[in-house]
Amino acid sequence: MADKPRADTTSLNDPDSVSAADHQGMAIRLIPVAVPAVLLIGSLLLPSFMFSSDRRPDVPGLGPAAWPRMVLILLGLCSAIWLLSEMRVLLKGRFSRSLAAPHDEDVYHYGKAVIGIGLTILFGWALPYVGFPIACSAFLLIWCLYGGIRNPLTLFLVPTIGTVGLLWMFMGLALMPLSRGVGMFDRFSVGLLQILGIY
Amino acid sequence: MQTLDFLMAGFASAFQIGAFLTVIVGLLVGVIAGALPGISFVNAMAMALPFTYAMDVTHAMLFLGGIYVGGVFGGSISAIMINVPGTPASLPATWDGYPMTKRGEVKRALTIAVTASAVGGLVSALMLTFLSAPFATFAMKFSQPEFFAATVLGLVSVIAIAKDKPIITMISLLAGMAIGTVGVDPLYGQARFSFGIPEVESGIRFVVVMIGLFAIGEVVDLVATDRDLRPKKADGKVAGAGFRDIWGVKGAILRGTGLGCIIGVIPGAGATPGAVIAYGVEKQINPRGKEFGTGIDAGLAAPEAAKNATTGAAMVPLLTLGIPGSAATAIMLAAMMLQGVNPGPLLFIMDPSMVYTIFAAMIIANILMIGAGVGVAQIFSTLMRTPPAILAGFIVILSLIGAYGVRNNIFDVHVCLVFGVIGWAMKRVGFPSAPMVLGVILGPLAERYFLTAVANSRQDYTVFFTRPISATILFLALIFVLWSLWPSVSARLPRKASDAGPKEQS
Repeated sequence: MADKPRADTTSLNDPDSVSAADHQGMAIRLIPVAVPAVLLIGSLLLPSFMFSSDRRPDVPGLGPAAWPRMVLILLGLCSAIWLLSEMRVLLKGRFSRSLAAPHDEDVYHYGKAVIGIGLTILFGWALPYVGFPIACSAFLLIWCLYGGIRNPLTLFLVPTIGTVGLLWMFMGLALMPLSRGVGMFDRFSVGLLQILGIY
Repeated sequence: MQTLDFLMAGFASAFQIGAFLTVIVGLLVGVIAGALPGISFVNAMAMALPFTYAMDVTHAMLFLGGIYVGGVFGGSISAIMINVPGTPASLPATWDGYPMTKRGEVKRALTIAVTASAVGGLVSALMLTFLSAPFATFAMKFSQPEFFAATVLGLVSVIAIAKDKPIITMISLLAGMAIGTVGVDPLYGQARFSFGIPEVESGIRFVVVMIGLFAIGEVVDLVATDRDLRPKKADGKVAGAGFRDIWGVKGAILRGTGLGCIIGVIPGAGATPGAVIAYGVEKQINPRGKEFGTGIDAGLAAPEAAKNATTGAAMVPLLTLGIPGSAATAIMLAAMMLQGVNPGPLLFIMDPSMVYTIFAAMIIANILMIGAGVGVAQIFSTLMRTPPAILAGFIVILSLIGAYGVRNNIFDVHVCLVFGVIGWAMKRVGFPSAPMVLGVILGPLAERYFLTAVANSRQDYTVFFTRPISATILFLALIFVLWSLWPSVSARLPRKASDAGPKEQS
């Protein structure tokens, strides 16, 4: 995926670009309307999903549903107020200032950010299956590559020393039962931990 | 006298080699983490949480307290040296600190900043020491309605701080409170919003939400912005600050300290509002106020003193009421609760030695911070040469280990990832995440106090208004709400004819 810095702007002389910019502008305009709308719908729908079974506790006074219901009513009310004010801004053809990205950076690579989030999710998902030692070293290696590091020595040392150091700190000293993985990954993790003198 | 005796005993405990080293390590970790842009002291504390599992509660608090004190100052090192605030609270340090660096006065700026921070932190630690015990004695009169009222004050003061976006801040807070209702309810043991998933029935832990919201999004931004952390060389010669320079800004330091101590006690406030307000006030009061922004000593000293003065002050409601007023103190609360200790007025009776060891450690940490700050500033250039990708990779792993370590449960890692994505999206659209975290923390507390107070008073809802302390606190909460909503309301009121006239003509 090609990274597209946020600062890039399309040429206004190009009709296609203008159209693309218009679409982008419309999408940006719709975000402040969509967010309160989703929150409002959520706060209206959620009370019916509060309990997973049909059994309701028979209690005098305020039951277990009272507090969440009160919170959701207030959330719905605030979302409705926000939605109305955003709708008014949208209908007047103005840009909403309620939601705006931070202006502290010149360039923002959205593609890179999405890949970063994807890698993080993949690491968290793979952790229980492949175990911490393999997941950690693989993640550090891929993350370094993703971050633009190409020096082979760095690519070897960071995952190796990093993983061993983290294993020592958390499984050796703090005695945390970090995942060893399943099947062959479990056997590999146990072998590695025995070599390191942790297990 | 009893306070002094306890404090001496606290110093004796804090000066034991293990405890002393823990404070120093925490302090160094905090200053380094705070100095690195993209890693705030809250991130550093969240990442340090799993390390505290292997410590006893006193050492855990000393470690986190050291990170807190060091981290709040650390952000100013990068702000002064490279014009990139390491933490949001260090933003005012760029306004007058970096112009001093550009003039070749980096050493002078760092000396003023670290001295002002140390003075602010020290005064606030002393305030924590001598005011906490009387406050805790007063809090012994509190029952469920008073605790509920105090929690409500904490919740609404979050909205009051965010004066520019009260509705959005309130939505963020309420969304957090809604997340806090997931799991078994505190009175009847009925699971809510579990959708039949057994892991959800035990609830969503605020530490996990906090790590996800603060750490993951920040890390992704660190890589996605191509941030160059390497320091740029400033022109000119190096000039230090002497005693006379520090004495010259004593007024600014004292004013900043006073404001920081007051703002820090307010739940929901913290180092950032403290520093910004102190800068604004100093600009109005100081004779050289109009020159602020060009490298004026007082413009650097006042916010520096204020932001570190909030550290001790923010711990007053945490230790005396068990109510964390900020994300940093929420992590401290998590560390205490994970060790089976519940902060509150009873803690001062049950375990005074631990409480006063923490106080002594806060005092020591603020004194040692001068050395740590100067030391880290010396090695800062080397640290900043570490590629951001390597730093970010380790932060992700430490964050997920932190989430896993809460219950040694992979479900918490997945929840953390979900909130990581939400936190990143919130940051991208400028939706505040701090109120959501406080909602997740304070929401369940408010629910428990509310339901038990109503149940104990036989369903009498007036119990919150008929008890004087509870009614007073709720009245204060109401004032906070009105104060926060007033700018939005007044902006919509029809203007006076005299105000509108010239504008219409133009």
